[in-house]
Amino acid sequence: MNIYVCIKQVPDTATKIKINSDRTWIDTNGIKWIVSPYDEFAIEEALKLKESDPSNTVTVISAGPERVKEAIRTGLAMGADKGIHIELSEMADTALTAKALAGAIKKQNDASLVLMGKEAADDGLAQVPQFVSRLLGFSCVTVALEITYAADVLTVKREVEGGTIEKIQTPLPAVIAAQKGLNEPRYASLPNIMKAKKKEIEMLTMADVGVTDSDQMVRLVGFDLPPTKQPGRKIDGDVATQVQELVKALKDEAKVV
Amino acid sequence: MIQQIAFVIVALIAFGLAFFRVKDLLKLMKSHNGRYSFPTDIIPRLTRTLLDVFSQRAVLKKPIIGTIHATIFWGFIIISFGTLEQFLGTLVPGFNFGFLGNPIYLIFLFTHDLFTLLVLIAVGAAVFRRAFAAPKYLGRSSDANLILFFTGLLMVSIFLMHGFLILGTQFHYSHREALFASFEISKFLSNLDFSGSEFEALGISFKWVHMILVLGFAVYIPGSKHLHVLAAGPNTFLKPAKTEKPMTSIDFEDESVEQYGAGKITDLSWKDALDYYSCTECGRCQEVCPAWNSEKPLSPKKLIVALKENLYANKSVIFSGKTDEITHVVDEVNTEDVFWACTSCRACEVACPVFIQHTDKIYDVRRNLVMMEARFPLEVQTVFKNMETNGSPWAFSSDERINWADGIDIPLISSEPDPDYLFWIGCAGAFDDRNKKVVRSFAQILKKANVKFAVLGTEETCTGDAARRIGNEYLYQILAKTNVETLNRYAIKKIVTTCPHCFNTIKNEYPEFGGNYEVLHHTQLIGDLISTGKIKPRKTDFGGTVTYHDSCYLGRWNGIYDEPRNLLAAVSVGPVVEMEQNREKSMCCGAGGGRMWMEETLGSRININRTEQAKDTGASLVASACPFCITMVGDGIKAKDYSNSLVVKDIAELINDATN
Amino acid sequence: MANVSVFAEQRDGKLKSASTDIISWAKSNGHTVSAVVIGKGIKSLEGELKSCGADKIQFVDDSTLEVYTPQAYSEALISVVKNTNPDYLLAAHTPMGRDLVPYVAMEMESSSTSDCTSVEWNGDSLKCRRPVFSGKATAEVEFIGNDKPKFITIRANTVPAGGDRPGEGVTTDHSVDLSNVTQKALGMEKGSSARPDVTEAAIVISGGRSLKSAENFKILEKLADLLGAAVGASRAAVDAGFRPHRDQVGQTGKVVSPSLYIACGISGAIQHLAGMRTSKCIVAINTDPEAPIFQVADYGIVGDLFEVVPALTEEIKKIR
Repeated sequence: MNIYVCIKQVPDTATKIKINSDRTWIDTNGIKWIVSPYDEFAIEEALKLKESDPSNTVTVISAGPERVKEAIRTGLAMGADKGIHIELSEMADTALTAKALAGAIKKQNDASLVLMGKEAADDGLAQVPQFVSRLLGFSCVTVALEITYAADVLTVKREVEGGTIEKIQTPLPAVIAAQKGLNEPRYASLPNIMKAKKKEIEMLTMADVGVTDSDQMVRLVGFDLPPTKQPGRKIDGDVATQVQELVKALKDEAKVV
Repeated sequence: MIQQIAFVIVALIAFGLAFFRVKDLLKLMKSHNGRYSFPTDIIPRLTRTLLDVFSQRAVLKKPIIGTIHATIFWGFIIISFGTLEQFLGTLVPGFNFGFLGNPIYLIFLFTHDLFTLLVLIAVGAAVFRRAFAAPKYLGRSSDANLILFFTGLLMVSIFLMHGFLILGTQFHYSHREALFASFEISKFLSNLDFSGSEFEALGISFKWVHMILVLGFAVYIPGSKHLHVLAAGPNTFLKPAKTEKPMTSIDFEDESVEQYGAGKITDLSWKDALDYYSCTECGRCQEVCPAWNSEKPLSPKKLIVALKENLYANKSVIFSGKTDEITHVVDEVNTEDVFWACTSCRACEVACPVFIQHTDKIYDVRRNLVMMEARFPLEVQTVFKNMETNGSPWAFSSDERINWADGIDIPLISSEPDPDYLFWIGCAGAFDDRNKKVVRSFAQILKKANVKFAVLGTEETCTGDAARRIGNEYLYQILAKTNVETLNRYAIKKIVTTCPHCFNTIKNEYPEFGGNYEVLHHTQLIGDLISTGKIKPRKTDFGGTVTYHDSCYLGRWNGIYDEPRNLLAAVSVGPVVEMEQNREKSMCCGAGGGRMWMEETLGSRININRTEQAKDTGASLVASACPFCITMVGDGIKAKDYSNSLVVKDIAELINDATN
Repeated sequence: MANVSVFAEQRDGKLKSASTDIISWAKSNGHTVSAVVIGKGIKSLEGELKSCGADKIQFVDDSTLEVYTPQAYSEALISVVKNTNPDYLLAAHTPMGRDLVPYVAMEMESSSTSDCTSVEWNGDSLKCRRPVFSGKATAEVEFIGNDKPKFITIRANTVPAGGDRPGEGVTTDHSVDLSNVTQKALGMEKGSSARPDVTEAAIVISGGRSLKSAENFKILEKLADLLGAAVGASRAAVDAGFRPHRDQVGQTGKVVSPSLYIACGISGAIQHLAGMRTSKCIVAINTDPEAPIFQVADYGIVGDLFEVVPALTEEIKKIR
């Protein structure tokens, strides 16, 4: 089985976000880039399949600027066999990205299983798995908490609200989007990190995968930082007053209840 | 004639066997692949070794058993000369050391007899101790019992030999008085109804018993823990020259290296094997190990013995070159838990009378677990990822590294490029609210003393100490090299820090990566500032006596015991009382060796044990000088609900509060 | 007056209030609202949909659609959208909505966005803003082309609730060919705990050692149940055996980032902070005014949690 794992490189979640001067994007100076955490579960799932059957191959694909090669190397260091880098602007939207990824996978013409995180940690749009599946004509199940593999059929447990789990059975080929808790992503051993430096990353252009700039459908503009948090305050008074004021604040100020 | 031939045959067999056994041990040593840099300061080491060995000062740290051992040791040396005399006298009938002339020969005989008696008494005391007063860390050992028995037997045989020979036909009259004890024995033996030549024959028989016992020992030694008589001397010679001991690094540029850390026993170094050979299983390391004492499966003694047994078990595989079949160090008996339990406090190394370096092996095994097998406690992965991405074990961004200075004016290196001191904050100082108070206190002390200092601010990144101790040498080197590059770019000469872990690694381990700076711990600098009158802290009443908890990385790792104590004494009205385990014998707080970042799931809590020890002194304040110690003891105080009667503070906080 | 279709989510014959909120809101903004309902035996929902503002109701009622499968539901919705050609297809950003809408959008090769937290009608076009970078920033969504429909999912509680302008409620039954659906719904499992996991809950209420016993955590559980929150614990509480390790929040436990984190009797040492400090809103309840947790809390109450939490529970009841 040939498994393709689509990954996205995103800013590390602890990084402070600054907006650039014309509010069209963030200031990328000093940003630490990592593999989107949900995509790591996808990589790990693919590697586990490879371990259970060494004839399975794992290819890590990412679409983006030159820097995403680092993310692909991380996947290779974890144990993936091969990498594919599709050169794409960092401002590409989910539609353009999905078309590029699907184009690359179609070109390979041998995919049985496509894995990726249920959403990217930077935009949280949660669209690319569904887009890719539609473009490839594959079945798709998202937010996978557990996948059971049998001949050509997968049973996927997916999470819905309130702790409830839906069980969906799907044939292969399929796109499955990973949720946190699907597995425990491994730490790359040093020999694998060293080996990864020599593994092949195939370079593809937009033309190679059949996309152009006009495939972009949406742009994010008008970036703003949220209003600066008020410094915390202690609520005084007797217990009854305190909880009253707290609930009012949570409801009207913070809007969290 | 017969005796000569018999002796030659027996001696050849015995020495032959002993020789081949030792040869195998040496061959096993040589089969190791680990790196060990042989020291170059030969002469000073030789002098120091002779002193160490002959004074027996390390063993004498425990006075009673130390005296027993020292007696046996000195006796062994002197009696060896006696044995030599017997051997030569058997090879060349009539030969003895009498040519030395009186009084030298008589002094020799006297001393020989004296020590035969003393050794016999010492052996008796040792047997008594093992039988009726055995400390828990000693453990039963049939090997030990055998050695004591045969040593005792050897002494008895010497007395009987001399005793009968005195009554025999060949004995020189004047020797009798020199062999004062044997003489008394001979008086007793004379009650037996034998002729002079019969006594002579008995004497010769016991001489043979004596010689065969010695030859038997020679064969026995290589296979027993008594091997230390051959190994301990060389091991003492090779002991680390200084208390400060940088961990050995790995050259990642070397493409021929495929194994990082120790997976198989032969991945360790020949010096490690020498350590096993030197181990007498005395148990002093186990006695002081905080892991063992809190019911974790790690006992330094058992570990060294297990490594030795692993080496021996793999002997035939090693000798036949089947390296693939060499078994792993980590197995069902020596589980991962054994290796993760270590806090790198080095109490074991300090206690060991033959200077075994236990921690080197543990950390090399960790390197294999982490870098080759990615096998480590789950919570450690977060630490590695945080260090890789944010240069800190906690998930804080490096932008936040200067937030501790909010409200006080702290010079950044970028605007104060030529300070007298670079104040290294460390991750705890930057991100941990409790420790921010400490760095703020120290910064204020520096300002009060008009010290020209600066901080790196957001350009600081984690020193990597935790990564190295957990076993991720690769990550450590990335962090260390980044810091060295930053520090060198600013041409920093002097660094002061409030964290002993940062202190230790920058001072002792960064030089290997090109970072050579004069590094001070804050207690050292504060001491200087007080002695030069730059600050004058008042005496403060802390409500009673005060005590001090030694940070392992200041104390055992760097020999800094007095400076913090002096400061505490200078600032406290109430006297400084010591915990029972203090200075070199101080008990670790439990956070070292990367354990700060791991869950403590086995046994009792090390930090709670230590907190109890602080409480038991009756002090109302326990002072420390390390962010981890303060966290651990602070947690201990909270866990035991001692907050109303005991507080933990950093020395910097105490001094700052007492200074205008 | 735009033609706005709204995916009216239903499970087990119950409509999601987040969906009906969108219907009312679109209607009250003067647009023609068409509700799309997919399922089995759903015709009974006609009344409710009409009264919340649906002018048209598109039913796809089929036994294959009794339980959600992505494939079957997307085929159904695609069919309805192709037939009705609205300007917008809106859905609530629920687990079902956020999964379903993108399939349809890509099939229609039409622009889409999700999880909008601010939506405003500008005549017939909808301006949307959404959070990015885990909520550290927001951005406006600019649709490039003139394609339609535009597919937008909206986070719950973004549009005002309720509204009482009923719609005309004209129903249409659609039949969809679902014979090529290869996915099968194998059933549902209730999660091992009725409460969400600490890592995914929108609200987390955590307790420390000061709870003094496992039994006392019931005080927090009562509040959690009211809020649909998860219950977390500090390491000290887990060590003391009050809560299982999977509830531990902190450096060596779980890292959480909910909209609201209520820390009860937790001092806020760095090991705990490392696991929750990115929470959007932090409330601290502690008897020690010097506790470090107050440094990061948005709202702090210095008090005894055994008094404050029950009082808080009562107060929350009043607004729920």
